[in-house]
Amino acid sequence: MRPFTYIRPATPQEAVGAFAEAGEGARFIAGGTTLYDLMKLTIERPAHLIDVTAVRGLDRIEMDGDRLRFGANAAMSAVAGDPTIGRDYPVLSEALWKAASQQLRNMATVGGNLLQRTRCMYFRNGGGGIYPCNKREPGSGCAAIGGLDRGQAVLGTSEACTAVSPGDWPVALVAMDASIEVLGPAGSRSLPVGDLYRLPGDTPHLEFTLGPGEMITAITVPKTPAGRLSTYHKIRDRESYAFALTSAAVALEMSGDRVEGARIALGGVATRPWRASEAEEVLIGHLLTPELALAAGQAAFRDARPGRHNSFKTELGARTITDALIIAAGRGRT
Amino acid sequence: MTTTPFKDRPRIDAFDKVRGATAYAADIPVPGMLYAMLVPSVVAKGRIATLQVEDAINVPGVVRILTPDDFPPPPEPVRFPNADAPPTLHRDIAFRGQPIALVVAETLEAATEGAERVAATFETQPFAATKRSALAVREEARPTAFGDAGAALAQATMTVDVEYESPAQHHNPIELISTTAVWADGRLTIYEGTQFASGIKEVVARILRIDPGIVDVKSPSVGGAFGQKGWVQQQTAIIARAAMLLGRPVKLVTPRGQIFHLAKFRPNSTHHIKLGADAAGKMTGVHYVADQQQSRRGTFPPDYHAGPTRLYGIRNYYGGGLDYRIDTQPPGHMRAPHEHPACFAFECAVDELAYSLGADPVDFRIANDTRVDPQNGRPLSSRHLNECLSRGAQRFGWSKRTPKPGSMRAADGSLVGWGVASGIYPALVTATVATLRISADGTTRFTTTHHEFGQGIKTAIGAVLLDGLEIDAAKLDIVLGDTTAAPQQITAGSWGTFSVVPTAALAVERMRAAISELLAGRQVSGAIHQQLAAIRRPFLTVEVSLLGPGQDAAALERLRRGQYAVAGPTFPDFTAMSYIAHFVEVQVESTTRRIRMPRVVSVADCGRVVSPRTAVSQVRGGVVWAFGAALREVTEVDPRFGGFLNNDLADYVVPVNADIGEIDVDFIGEPDPVANSVGVKGLGEVAMVGASAAIVNAIFHATGKRLRELPVRIEHLL
Ligand SMILES: Cc1cc2nc3c(=O)[nH]c(=O)nc-3n(C[C@H](O)[C@H](O)[C@H](O)COP(=O)(O)OP(=O)(O)OC[C@H]3O[C@@H](n4cnc5c(N)ncnc54)[C@H](O)[C@@H]3O)c2cc1C
Ligand code: SF4
Repeated sequence: MRPFTYIRPATPQEAVGAFAEAGEGARFIAGGTTLYDLMKLTIERPAHLIDVTAVRGLDRIEMDGDRLRFGANAAMSAVAGDPTIGRDYPVLSEALWKAASQQLRNMATVGGNLLQRTRCMYFRNGGGGIYPCNKREPGSGCAAIGGLDRGQAVLGTSEACTAVSPGDWPVALVAMDASIEVLGPAGSRSLPVGDLYRLPGDTPHLEFTLGPGEMITAITVPKTPAGRLSTYHKIRDRESYAFALTSAAVALEMSGDRVEGARIALGGVATRPWRASEAEEVLIGHLLTPELALAAGQAAFRDARPGRHNSFKTELGARTITDALIIAAGRGRT
Repeated sequence: MTTTPFKDRPRIDAFDKVRGATAYAADIPVPGMLYAMLVPSVVAKGRIATLQVEDAINVPGVVRILTPDDFPPPPEPVRFPNADAPPTLHRDIAFRGQPIALVVAETLEAATEGAERVAATFETQPFAATKRSALAVREEARPTAFGDAGAALAQATMTVDVEYESPAQHHNPIELISTTAVWADGRLTIYEGTQFASGIKEVVARILRIDPGIVDVKSPSVGGAFGQKGWVQQQTAIIARAAMLLGRPVKLVTPRGQIFHLAKFRPNSTHHIKLGADAAGKMTGVHYVADQQQSRRGTFPPDYHAGPTRLYGIRNYYGGGLDYRIDTQPPGHMRAPHEHPACFAFECAVDELAYSLGADPVDFRIANDTRVDPQNGRPLSSRHLNECLSRGAQRFGWSKRTPKPGSMRAADGSLVGWGVASGIYPALVTATVATLRISADGTTRFTTTHHEFGQGIKTAIGAVLLDGLEIDAAKLDIVLGDTTAAPQQITAGSWGTFSVVPTAALAVERMRAAISELLAGRQVSGAIHQQLAAIRRPFLTVEVSLLGPGQDAAALERLRRGQYAVAGPTFPDFTAMSYIAHFVEVQVESTTRRIRMPRVVSVADCGRVVSPRTAVSQVRGGVVWAFGAALREVTEVDPRFGGFLNNDLADYVVPVNADIGEIDVDFIGEPDPVANSVGVKGLGEVAMVGASAAIVNAIFHATGKRLRELPVRIEHLL
C-alpha cells in the first residue's frame, strides 16, 4: 500500500475545490468498500483521498416534489430500509437489499455504488502483470476472452473487453429513468444514470463519463405509479452475498392484465447497466402471459454474443426477465 | 466400559469465542514485533533471473529483505513431507505464487509496499497447468485389489460404468495462514495455527540446521484447520529465519489472495467406476480407478479406496490410483481428503445402479451390508450403517418418496428431489501422553498431545475430566498444541477423540487411585481441591501415556520425535470405521433452476458420543461443507497461465447461511466395544462423507439428470 494524503471537507464546494487542488492522483472516497479494496489489489493507487462522508446534508433522502432524491452519501442500507421506498418502489429497495452484505450496505453509499468497478477475475487478480487486461493495462490484451469467461458479459461487449458492470442499484436506476446531480470544477449538471456508463469499445479502461474532479451529489428518480408494480430479481451463485449472474429490474404499468408501460433493465449480463427496450416493446399493449414474458426475455438477448462458458446467460437471463415480469405484475393483485 | 451417554455440555471455549477473547496464534502480542510480507512468483515455472530489492529497501520502515541467498543449503537428503522442495526461498520456481522474497518492516503497510516494489525477472519454462496438459506426467500407484473384479463384473446381471469429477478446492478457513517467530535467549519460539506443532519443531530445525531442542511451537487455538494446516507450511521456516537474522520477533499473516497458491488444496480428481450387481440385488464387483492432479514431487497419495472398499459387502474390488504430475504447489489434505470425492463418486454410482435395478436406494444399500472388512476378512469393531440408514429414512419420511424422477413437486411448482447416500471413514488413533495436575488452590491443568481447532476436542476432554473427577470446572485449563507442554502429534483424520479421550479417561482413573491412596481411608468431604488442602498437599500430578491397539513403544518414540505415530483402521484383531447416512431434500426452481436444500437428515455411527453439542456441530459443518463441495466451490485454472485464478472469498464461492436449510442430526450412540476404553471412534471427517452424493442423487430424483461433475451449477439444469 502506498502512502496517500487524506482530508475530510465539510461542503461539496470544498470537496470539489480540494480535488482540483490535489491534482494528479486525487480520488473521492465515500464508504471505501470499493476503493480500499482496489487499493489493496494495486489497481487503484491514489495519492490523495478526499473523503466526502463529512460533507453536510449529502445523506438526505427526500420525497417531496415529483422526484425521489437520494443524497450521494446516503447508506445503501438507509435507502433499502426506507419504508416508503420499500412500498412504492420495491425495485429500488430490492436492488440494494440483494447487494453485498449488511455490513457493506451500512458502510457503502448509494453514490459510491454507481462507480464500482468490474469483478472480472482477470482484472482483479492480475497484480504483477500476470494476466493481460485492457482495463488494467490499456493495450495489453484481454485474458477473459478465450479464457474462463463464465462470469463475463454477453451484451455490449467488444473485442477489447467483456467485463460485466457489476452493480445492482444502477440497473434499477436505469430502469426507473433516474438521473444524477453532479458538481464539478465547471459547476453543476445533471445527467441520466444511463449516460454515466460507457461501453468498453476500444477503451475499456474508460468506464464513466464523469470529468476529473466531478462529484456526484445526488441521485433523483422521477416518481411513477410503475414503481409499485416493480421488482429487482437477481439470480446468483448463492442465495446471498454474491454478484448477479443475471438480474432484471422490472417496473410495469398495467391495465388489468394488459401491459401499458414496461421498463426493463438487466444486470450481470452486460458491460453497462442495460436497458432492454427490445423486451419492453414485445410487451406493450399485450396481455401479460408467461409465454409473452418469456418472449420478451428472449428478445432482450437477441444480440447476445456469448463466449465459451457463458452462453447459459442468454437462456437464464431470459428466464430471469420472465420471472421478474410475473413477480412485478403480481404486485398489482395483492 | 460404562455405556451411559455423556450429557450435553456447552462448548468449553464458547464464552471466550462469542466475546472475541479466544487468542489465535496471530493474536499473541509480542513486544518489538516486525511485520512481514511474502513476494509471490508471477510465473508458474522457471528460475529467478534477477531479483531487485533496492526500491523495496528504500521504502521507509522496511528493515530487511530476505532472498534465496539468506537460506542455508538444504540438508541432504532433501526430503520433507509433501513438499516439492524444502519450504524456504529458492531460485527455482516450481509453481505460481511460490514465495521468492520476504520483506520485513516496522509496519504491515511498509512491508506490503516493499513487497510490491520487489522486482523480479524470470527465465520461464513451459509448464503443465492441469491433468490434461501435454507436459503432465502420468504415474501409477499401487492398486488396492481383492477378489476378482473382472470376473465379477463379467458375470454381473447389471452394471454401471460411469465417470465422476471433483474439482480443485481450497479450504479457506476464516483464520488466514500466519506465523510469528521469536528468537530470544537462544530459543526459537513459533506461534502458528497448526495441526502439528511438533512436526514444525522438527522440520524447521532441520531446514535451518538448528537443534530441535531449542525450538518451541505453540498453536493455541486454530481458526479452522481442515487439513490446510496439517504439515509444515511454506512460510514457517522463512519467518523463523527472518526472526533469527534480525533478532526481533517477526509476524506474517498472509493475505487471502496468496493462500490460493501458498496453501495445500484438494486436488482435482476423476473417478471412473464400474460397478456390478447380481440378479438378487447384491453388489458383486467394483473396478474403480481414481486419478488426481499432483505436483512434481508431492506425496499426497492417489489412494481413494479406504472408504469404498468397506462401505458394503462387495467381495471383488480393483482400486487403481494415478497421479498426473503438473506444476502447482503440492495438493494435500482437505476435510475427508479421499473419502469425500471417493464417496461422492461411489455413492452416486450406487444410486445409478439401484435405479438401473429398479431398487429403492435405501433398501439396496441395506441389503449390501457386511459384518467383516472386505479388504482382509477381519471383523469390524462395530458397524451400524444399516441402523443409520433405517433411522434416517424414518426421520426423513423416506417412505413418502415416489421413486420416479421429476414426480414430486413443491407448492410453488419447484421440482422436489430426495436423495440418500452413505459415508464412511477410518477410525484412526495416535500415541498420546498427558499430564493431569490438580491443585489445592482450585485449579486443574491437563496438558496433552493434540490441537484444538474448533472441532471441540477440549470440550470432549473436559467432559471426561469433569464427569470423572470432582473438580472446579471454571478453573480447568486444558493445554493443547504446545510442544513445551507435551509432545504433539498431527491432529487430523478424526483421530483426536479416539486418541486423547481414552487418555483423559486413563488419567482420571489414575488420579482417583492416587487420591484414594493419599487419603488412605480418611473421609474428607468436598472437591479434590479441598481434599488436597485438607491433607496439606499443594497439588497432585499423574502422568500417563497411551497407545492405540497394536501400537508399541516405537510409536511413543515417534511421537516424542515429532514423527507420524498413527495407527488404523486395520488393527491386529479388527478393522474400525465410522459411518453415516445422509438424506437430502432439494428443490429445483422450475424457471431459473436455482437449486435449494431445505432439509437434511444425517445419522452417524461414531461410537459413543462424548460431547453431544460439538458432535452435532461437526455433522452440521460437514453437511455444509459437502453442500459447498457439491454446489459451490471450485478453484479455477486457466491453463494458459497456470496457477489458480480465483483468489478471494467473492470469487471462491463458499455457502452462505441463506443456502442452508434445516440439518437434523442424530447419532446411533452405541459405544464401540473394542476400539478403546471409552467406546469412541471418529466423527469430524465422516460427517461430510457422502453428503455431496446425497445432494447430487436428490438432484437426479428431482430432475432426471445425472450430473457427474462438481460443482453442479445453475447452467447444468437449464
Ligand atoms: C464483498 C463485496 C460484495 C459486494 N457485493 C455487491 C453486490 O452484490 N451488488 C452490488 O451492487 N454491489 C456489491 N458490492 C459493491 C458495493 O455495493 C460497493 O462497493 C459500494 O456500493 C461502493 O460504495 P462506497 O460508498 O463504499 O464507495 P467507495 O469505495 O468509497 O467509492 C467507490 C468509487 O466511487 C468514487 N466516489 C465515491 N463517492 C463519490 C462521489 N460522491 N462522487 C464521485 N465519486 C465518488 C470513489 O472515488 C471510488 O472510485 C460488493 C462489495 C464488496 C466489497
Ligand atoms: S474482460 Fe475487460 S476487465 Fe476482464 S480481462 Fe478482459 S479487458 Fe480486462
